[in-house]
Amino acid sequence: MNTTTLRSFAAATALLGWASSAAIAQDIPAGYPADYAAVIEAAKKEGTVSIYTSTDAAQSQKLQDGFTAKYGIKIAYNDLGTNGAYNQVISEAAASQVTADVVWSSAMDLQMTLVKEGYAAEYASPEAANIPAWANYQNILYGTTVEPIGVIYNTKALTEDKLPKTYADLITFLKDNKAELQGKVATFDPEKSGSGFLHHSNDARNRSDFWDLAKAMGDDGAKIYSSSGGMKETVVSGENVIAINIIGSYALDWVKESPNLGVHFSSDYTPAFSRLALATKDAPHPNAAKLFIDFMLSKEGQSLLAEGGLPSVREDVTAGLNIKTLNERVGGGLKPIAVDDGVLEYMDQMKRVQFMNDWKAALGR
Amino acid sequence: MTTHAPAPATLPMTRAAAEKKYPAKMPRHGNASVYRIVVIGLLAIAVLAPVGLILYQSFLSAAFFSPRATFGLDAYRYVFTDKNFYEALATTTIFSFGMVAIAVPLGALVAFLITRTDIKGKRLLEILVLVPMFISSIVLAFGYTVSVGPTGFVSLFIRSLIGFVPWNIYSLPGMILIAGLSHVPHVYLYVSASMRNLPSDLEEAARTTGASIWQVSRDVTLPMVLPSLIFAASLNILLGFETFGIPLVLGDPNGIMVLTTYIYKLTTLFGTPTYQLMAVVAVVLILITLPLVWAQRKLLRNARKYVAMGGKGARVATLKLGGSGQLIALFIIGLWLFVSVLLPIGGIAVRAFVDAWGEGVNLFDQLTLANFDHLLEVPSLVRGIVNTVILSVVGGAVAVGIYLMVGLAGHRNWGASNTLLDYIVLLPRALPGLVIGLAFFWVFLFVPFLTPLRPTLVSIFVAYVVVGLSYGLRLLQGTLLQVAPELEESARTTGATIGRTWRDVVIPIVRPGLAGAWALIMIIFLREYATGVYLMGAGTEVIGSLMVSLLQTGAMNTIAALALISVVLTGAGLALALRLGAKIHD
Repeated sequence: MNTTTLRSFAAATALLGWASSAAIAQDIPAGYPADYAAVIEAAKKEGTVSIYTSTDAAQSQKLQDGFTAKYGIKIAYNDLGTNGAYNQVISEAAASQVTADVVWSSAMDLQMTLVKEGYAAEYASPEAANIPAWANYQNILYGTTVEPIGVIYNTKALTEDKLPKTYADLITFLKDNKAELQGKVATFDPEKSGSGFLHHSNDARNRSDFWDLAKAMGDDGAKIYSSSGGMKETVVSGENVIAINIIGSYALDWVKESPNLGVHFSSDYTPAFSRLALATKDAPHPNAAKLFIDFMLSKEGQSLLAEGGLPSVREDVTAGLNIKTLNERVGGGLKPIAVDDGVLEYMDQMKRVQFMNDWKAALGR
Repeated sequence: MTTHAPAPATLPMTRAAAEKKYPAKMPRHGNASVYRIVVIGLLAIAVLAPVGLILYQSFLSAAFFSPRATFGLDAYRYVFTDKNFYEALATTTIFSFGMVAIAVPLGALVAFLITRTDIKGKRLLEILVLVPMFISSIVLAFGYTVSVGPTGFVSLFIRSLIGFVPWNIYSLPGMILIAGLSHVPHVYLYVSASMRNLPSDLEEAARTTGASIWQVSRDVTLPMVLPSLIFAASLNILLGFETFGIPLVLGDPNGIMVLTTYIYKLTTLFGTPTYQLMAVVAVVLILITLPLVWAQRKLLRNARKYVAMGGKGARVATLKLGGSGQLIALFIIGLWLFVSVLLPIGGIAVRAFVDAWGEGVNLFDQLTLANFDHLLEVPSLVRGIVNTVILSVVGGAVAVGIYLMVGLAGHRNWGASNTLLDYIVLLPRALPGLVIGLAFFWVFLFVPFLTPLRPTLVSIFVAYVVVGLSYGLRLLQGTLLQVAPELEESARTTGATIGRTWRDVVIPIVRPGLAGAWALIMIIFLREYATGVYLMGAGTEVIGSLMVSLLQTGAMNTIAALALISVVLTGAGLALALRLGAKIHD
């Protein structure tokens, strides 16, 4: 009797052990290396992953919940803003108190700066093959979203058919409607917003007529804001008629709920930025960091991001928008900003100061 | 609380020499000087550590922890040759003085009406007039854009009546008016305290000789409270230099920049944050503060010569306003409260329950609870609300304890330590919360034994205590000064040490006042926003800083919902203050 109990207990334990290792084996996604089970195991032991980010928790809640549900690893989610995230990472590294495992930020230039200054750890994600080449910087910095930059307008004041089709048309449009648009054009303030600077300076890099646009906005008495949401508020309320160079992925969601708000993209040129993720050097939970980055880039993670309104860099994602369907939505002119040294062009102080001076001159400030 | 009374044998001075040095105020023996020095010393460390770090940072060429940082004046050279800095400085100066020009006369008037006249509903008004002080300026500014912005619902209503909107809040005068009206309580608080202490016989004498009530207030009351008026004015100039929320929301779109938004810009202007430039601007703000504190001290010293209050509390009789006087007085206060409380809070309340507003939007079609639903779905936002409540309720109580200890250390104290106290109390007031928060972030990161505290609410609490110091201490000092010196002196004459006197006489008497102070500090902690921006992390979110962080992406629905929750919490705090405060009067 006694021995039987013991034996069946042993058998049950063995069975349990086999079942749990099988569960782990099942967890390894297709195409991942066989030793990935060890990463998962180690990550689970670490138990938590600390994310420093500029993405509002509301937008990534599905991704977070999905990750925790899948691996049982807790997420310490620090929404610090682009500058806050950068500041904390370099400060903590200097104090040898690194707490960030993953830095995930829309400030492409600051993220690249972290990489160049040695705050990031190289990690070849098994998912790297599934994202476009421009979204992978030397297996160290990954683009996780593709977010178009566009225009929002008040539908009571403007109708879709009146809107300019191309970038050049936009300039003409601002010039031709100077009277109606006076003091009712909004755009990003590149001095106060990192995103705004990225949007404007990327245009300046790619469009020789960017300064004509800036001048046209200046002639219309454009007002400058430090966030897309702030501009949306003024366009919906009718305080402004049109807002230029705002984050279009947000706008695509806003128009679903807001009355009298429209979103529009130039058919020949729609730049798109990407939220970039990196694992930190000396991360306290290095395996959990790897797991999180892989999950973010996986079809599952990308779907959860897209459901939250952040379009996917993967073509095989069906939830929300992906890079292909997004390109169709914006009229075929999608031009993602590549994750490469180019984003650092305006980190050069002389160039930056020159840009700001030109900008202020164009806006007449 | 322990006190360290030196034994009589350790008195090396001759009796005559001691009497010369310590004129006949209180016996030097048992005067708790060790306690005073320890407490004031600890406070000085808490305040001067971040300030010292800022000063040090201002003389470097990069972040102080960067290996590339070299010592020099480059940062000063940049700031002092930057055209934008001088523009911001000029705008800030106009803004501050404009604000004072509105807040001080109005604050004095409100204080006069409430303390010296028989205005109706005094108990309620005493609390109501403080309300604008308790709404964080960022909430205030948002609220105004929704109600009286270019397409705000009040503006649209006025436009439908007269064809145009006669005001523009996105202008310097608009900002000055809003800031001025919202700073009235800061003036009221100080001026009413000194008015309460005035004996009424002088005013009554003036009245019997036929002077009108306005003549009395101008020629009798006003000169006697002049020191407190000047004190309030200089404090408000400081507050004006430090204001962030109003210029951020109302000045920014049109490029109206003040020093605090100039600092904010320096975090992004060069791509990576330029701490050394931010530090230089912070040092400039400190340099502006010091002469103001010096002037205040000089003024208050002279003011003591004119103390009109006798040993026994003079009975304060109130001036009769009369029927039409009542009406005018209540109308003035009502109008002010309407503009500075109802308009912004109305705006926030409307915005929290709609998804869209403005021209051609029917607010009733937009009514929704979705903003709150979304908020409750995000754990970090819910945690932010919980943390804010913990920090205000528990943290507020602990802070009162700390302020009481500091207040006792400075109570009937004189000499160098008290001079130091006066300066360190106002220093943090001069610095933008953003900068103080950043300095504390570094202190908690780089001082070895403090590092475990950084990811906890303790780090935010410490920063809050320092930021709230000038207000909190003033509150406690006011309460302590209500204890008649005779009581303390009689305890001392019967041989009690000063520690015993505090324990058995002072603290029991001020205990009801402490409860009121707790409620007020609670509200001050509730409304804080800039200080926590750099300090909060996962698990230590607070409402105010979450709003600043959300502002970067512009999630206005969430911001409005959070703002309304913070207003409701503040209302609860005020109700509590009213209950606890009411006990003081009984």
